[in-house]
Amino acid sequence: MTLKILPKKALPAWLDGLHANYRLVGPRAKQENFVFDVIQNAEDLRLDYNTTILPPKKVLLPQQETILQFDTSKDFHQVEPVFEDTPTVLFGVHTCDMHAINLMDQVFGQGYPDAHYQTRRQHTAIVTLECLNPCTEFCFCKSMETLSVPEGFDLHITDLGNVLAIEIGSGQGLTLLQHAKMVRDAGPKDYQHLQDVMSEKWPRFAYQLDFDITELPSLIALSYKTEVWDSLGDRCLGCGICNVVCPTCNCFDVIDEVDFDLQSGSRYRIWDSCQLDRFCSVAGGHDFRSSRANRLRHRFLHKFKYQPETYKIVGCVGCGRCAQECLVHISPVDVLNELYRRQVPFASIEQEVLV
Amino acid sequence: MNNKPRIAFFDFTGCEGCQLTVIDSLENHPELLEAVDIVQFREAMSEKDDDFSIAFIEGSCTRSSDEKRLEKIREQAALVIALGACAHLGGVNAVRNIQPLESVRRCVYGEKAEVYETSIAKPIGDVISIDGFIPGCPIDPEEFIRGVKRLLQGNRPLIPDYPVCIECKLRENACLFQRGKVCLGPITRAGCGALCPSLGVGCEGCRGLIPNPNITWLKEVMAEHGQSSERISAKMGLFMTNQILESEVIDVES
Repeated sequence: MTLKILPKKALPAWLDGLHANYRLVGPRAKQENFVFDVIQNAEDLRLDYNTTILPPKKVLLPQQETILQFDTSKDFHQVEPVFEDTPTVLFGVHTCDMHAINLMDQVFGQGYPDAHYQTRRQHTAIVTLECLNPCTEFCFCKSMETLSVPEGFDLHITDLGNVLAIEIGSGQGLTLLQHAKMVRDAGPKDYQHLQDVMSEKWPRFAYQLDFDITELPSLIALSYKTEVWDSLGDRCLGCGICNVVCPTCNCFDVIDEVDFDLQSGSRYRIWDSCQLDRFCSVAGGHDFRSSRANRLRHRFLHKFKYQPETYKIVGCVGCGRCAQECLVHISPVDVLNELYRRQVPFASIEQEVLV
Repeated sequence: MNNKPRIAFFDFTGCEGCQLTVIDSLENHPELLEAVDIVQFREAMSEKDDDFSIAFIEGSCTRSSDEKRLEKIREQAALVIALGACAHLGGVNAVRNIQPLESVRRCVYGEKAEVYETSIAKPIGDVISIDGFIPGCPIDPEEFIRGVKRLLQGNRPLIPDYPVCIECKLRENACLFQRGKVCLGPITRAGCGALCPSLGVGCEGCRGLIPNPNITWLKEVMAEHGQSSERISAKMGLFMTNQILESEVIDVES
């Protein structure tokens, strides 16, 4: 591990240097919440943010993006893909969101690699930030094993009070750090300080799940027919917000829009949500997941069974955004613990008898 | 005579704000006038020609004489599109539908109540078959323009069937419920770009219900946030009276 030390007072100048050379995106305040947005002035960057409404995923997969432009008026049909390759620094990403980006990299990198995502990703450097306190009452990162930074970051920052400890994760990260002044190598005291901060932070986070995440795929598979889904389906508004705020959801819809000449136009994609009523409607009018209960169950199956099996990464990073935003209080932690409780009825009856 | 599609606009019971929005949309999209011939549009021009293939109808149907006029438009037009909340849902006018018609007439016309013909406010789709709709109070000018382009391509207007919450969250608004306000976003059709919630005003539901809305649990959410059932009914009755009445009938039957 190559560790550097930057005095906090040198941070604004570093951010200005990055802003001058890259599109700098980081957390900033929006009313009483925080959002990832372009940072024009260093003082707008809020490294003390708790969580953001949308995850930093939106920098790599924007809510809506044009993917190609077409013109059929010529002898040959002209189709031009649109790529976004502005050099970007994504600054201040929490570790759970970095885990999510690693999953997104796989989703958009395997099978048919998505050139639009790939282009943005290749031109985006990521500076992650160590979480020292739980961001909200809804996060369950410790249970999901996303409380530590995974590989894939370019720089990783830990706040040590007056100074920032900066771990270099890539050559690109080293380049970013060259825009900073007053950077020095970490000494033995710095390493000790970092270790102290890290060991102090760990107990501040609680384990929220009653079981180990390696049990998730089988738990979800065995819970396929439980009535839990029906009662959740009654309650669920089907509004799709849980998908929108999720750092790993990646479904999108594709829409063509023509100009008035009806020959030229553009194709764009926009985030979609598997909880919406018509998500599973197909040509001919058939809807293969027409109830909210079925759609909700599918969301859990996808994140906790299909994705771990496909990518070896659980499709939920425990950020807690969906639970925080849900108007009818559907939280993955509650649902999973309830499923687990129902899977071990005999064990608990035995215990009750013994008591 | 050229081969451009001939479009006509008609108005029934409404404030004509959607027609004004159509005129407004031409400011950013004057090319619409290159693509079509507008042959009848009382709000905007004096000329009037009854040879048209696409009819946009604004306003709700509130009189039996309206029905005859609607049927005549339907006979002529290859495509009929409901324009705005009144034509699409019955609009604010439908608030009258939950009160005795006689008292509504007395309230509005006083002594002259007998002179004026009036009935319940119906969406035009209850009177004649329609081929599509542009929702909203008023309509969204960009959605209208996109809708016309889709019609010219031979498709129906592409209107979202997901709730306002989606667009609100895509814009990274804090949920209005968390800020102590009431919002019909979870059950209301999107397409407005969550305009009202983005300005801090709870959604009034002018674009109508999404398919299979969970009204029962939205009422629970409202109650949890301290709203009385009267307030909830009033909120949902502004634009959705006809749709709510319809869904209650369906509930009783099932």
